Parts: sequence; structure tokens; C-alpha cells
Amino acid sequence: MGKRVLIIDDSSTMRKIVSRSLRQAGLDFDEILEAADGQEALDLLKTEKVDLILSDINMPNMDGMEFLRQKREIDAIKDIPVVMITTEGGADIIGEAKELGAAGSVKKPFKPETISDVLGALI
Amino acid sequence: MENNLQQQIINATQAVFDTMLMLPVTSGVALPDKVYLFNDSISGMLGFSGDVQGMLTIHCPQQIAFCITGQLLGMEVDGMDEDVKDTIGEMANMILGGIKDAFLERGTDISLAVPTVMSGRSYRVKTVDYASWTTVPFYLDDGEFLVELKLKTLD
Amino acid sequence: MELQKHITDATTEIFETMIMLEISAGDPVVEKINNFKCSVSGVIGLAGTCKGILAIHLPDKVAMSITGSFLGMEVTEVDDDVTDAIGELANMVAGNIKMILDEAGKDVTLSIPSCVHGAEYTLDTAADCERVVVPFNLESGQFLVELQVKN
Repeated sequence: MGKRVLIIDDSSTMRKIVSRSLRQAGLDFDEILEAADGQEALDLLKTEKVDLILSDINMPNMDGMEFLRQKREIDAIKDIPVVMITTEGGADIIGEAKELGAAGSVKKPFKPETISDVLGALI
Repeated sequence: MENNLQQQIINATQAVFDTMLMLPVTSGVALPDKVYLFNDSISGMLGFSGDVQGMLTIHCPQQIAFCITGQLLGMEVDGMDEDVKDTIGEMANMILGGIKDAFLERGTDISLAVPTVMSGRSYRVKTVDYASWTTVPFYLDDGEFLVELKLKTLD
Repeated sequence: MELQKHITDATTEIFETMIMLEISAGDPVVEKINNFKCSVSGVIGLAGTCKGILAIHLPDKVAMSITGSFLGMEVTEVDDDVTDAIGELANMVAGNIKMILDEAGKDVTLSIPSCVHGAEYTLDTAADCERVVVPFNLESGQFLVELQVKN
């Protein structure tokens, strides 16, 4: 497929779970990159090119919302689609994420089909 | 209220198993007696507050925890490690997230704390008297685990 | 956030007023302590704008002596009275910490406490939190108060 995805989540276990879900959804990414928070993600994106980003919201250092805010100010990366992964997915949080530029959201727990439905359209 | 809580626990737990785990699980009836003592187990506790205060705990024999973790991460798990503890913590998070949604439909809003995971050869977990508790057993091929919801009873 | 000071103030106040046992705070423990033997741990969740947990870890002997002082009776084993008392202790310390955090502009609510007791158990917080552990010394030994806060 030649595509690369970045998973941002402070839990390394959650990053593994998301990776496995992507494989299970039949989304065969060439490479899966990981970051533990928004700041790490921004640093990584300075040198690495990705086609899609999956991000948690609640993270220390820089949370998902702040990551969206900062990302849209950087020309090189502002157009990369971001899908938020939420646990406490209240409509207002998802609305705020969309206003900040998120392309969509997936609420835990999610089926592989849900992930492929949301992501499939974006890559 | 009892039956409602039992159903909410079942729905939320079933949702996690149907979606992320794809492991067949059947639920039992809420236990009549409290279970305190756990051997060779791991328990994930997650407190919540807001319109109601309480705690959700998932109690798993270690072997079941390994099985669930292996399934979730798509890899072999043969010992208690960070992945197993994180997985049990995440299970508590997702199950309570589902219960939160069910509460919200009935106008009750809660905010989740952060999960704590306990494990050991033999330990007891007790809570205060002023809490109601509902413990539902769930059965997998390899064994069973418990999901317990404690709520501060209103005065 | 000055978590060390919050913990010390909150805990000292409870012991001076409700338990009436003299305690002195030590320097925060830096190394990871999550394995406990013959101990009791009271745990309570913090939710709202500040998510986390407050935990108190005590060797059986210290738990019994504090319960004895709290309830005004002699305690010779870790029974329901002890686990109830330690759960309540966690509740009170967390209550004080909640007040301090609320004054600093946060909006914190508390869950209900749980109490763990065993010959050997491990307690881990499954999240990336700012973590401060303060030891307190008293006549019967030492206990730890641990505050973990996310963000």
C-alpha cells in the first residue's frame, strides 16, 4: 500500500492494540509509527512523512486537542488527516476536535470494521 | 436499580468483547454474596464521581488476563508484565466508558478517574459499607472473570 | 503543581485532628515502589478536571495501630475495621487534597475508596501520571501517601 500511519497515545499497550486493530481491519500500512503525546508527535513529524494520524485525546505534556491546534499552524503537516480515538466521547469533545480540524473520531471499544470504515475513506 | 445495573454491566462488558476482543463471552447472574478474596489474580479498579460516586473493578485470574491481553495485542503472553496490567486497566476504562454512556441516557453524568491495577498471589479487596455493589460473572472458554460495580447509595 | 506540599499538608492535618497521632513527613520517595508485603493499601480516585488517584500504603502493623487510635480500641488483626478505617483515611486525605486543588482553580471530585490487603501484592497505575510519594514516620513504623495526577 505504501502508506504510513502515526499512532499517538500515552499507553504503549493502547498503541499495540490500535496497531493490531488496523491489521485486523485489513488496513495494511507499510509502516506504523508511534508517539506518546502531542509534542513527541510534532517532533517526529518534522522528519517523518505520514499519510494518516490516529490520536488519543487525554495525554500528558500535550493532549490531542492541543496537538490539533498546533498541527494546523504548520504548513507541511496541516493537511494530514487526523482521527481521534476517544473513551469518554461526549458530543462536545468530538465537536471541538472537528472544529480543530480532526477528520473523524472512533470511540473505544471499536470493531475493526468501524476503524476501516472511518479510515478507509481518508487514505 | 439492581437489575438495571446488572444489565448495564453486561452490555458494557459484552460490547468490549464483541468489538475489540472478538472472544465469545457469556454473562451470568449477579452474585448474591460479595467476593473479597482473590488468588493468583489481577484486578483493575477505576473510580468515578459526578452525579454518583463509585468504583468499577474487573477481577481476573491471571491466566484469563494473559488470554485477554494476548487476544487484544495479537501476540503470545506468558507472564505478568506491563502489557497485561495496561490491558486490564484499559478494560476497566472501556467497560466503565460504556456504563457512563448508559448512565448518561438516564440523565446521570459521571467523570472517570484513572485505573489502578492490583495483582498478587492472594489479596483481599474491600470497600466501604455505604456502597451498593453488583458483581456479574462472565464466562470464557478458559475460565471466568468478574465485573463489579460499586455505587455510593444515596441518602 | 506542588504535589509534595499538598500531600504533606493534607495528611498532617488529618492525623492532627481526627487520628491524633504524631507523624513526620520525610522526603519524597523517588524509586518506584509498587510491591507490598503484609500490607494494606487504601485507594481512591480523583475525577473531574484533574484525574488521578490517591493511595495510602501501610504495613499491617501500622494499619492496625492507626485504626486503634482512630477507633479508640485495641486492634490485633487486619479485619474489617482496619480496612474500613484505612479506606476512610484515604477518603479524608483525598478530601483535603481536593480542597487544595479546587482552591488552585481545579474542579476535583472523589470516587469511593477501596482497600486492598494481602501477604504480597503489586499496585500499578495504568496511565502516564505525575507521581509523588511521601513517606510518613510514626511510632509504629512508616507509611506512604502516593498521589498520581494526570496532566
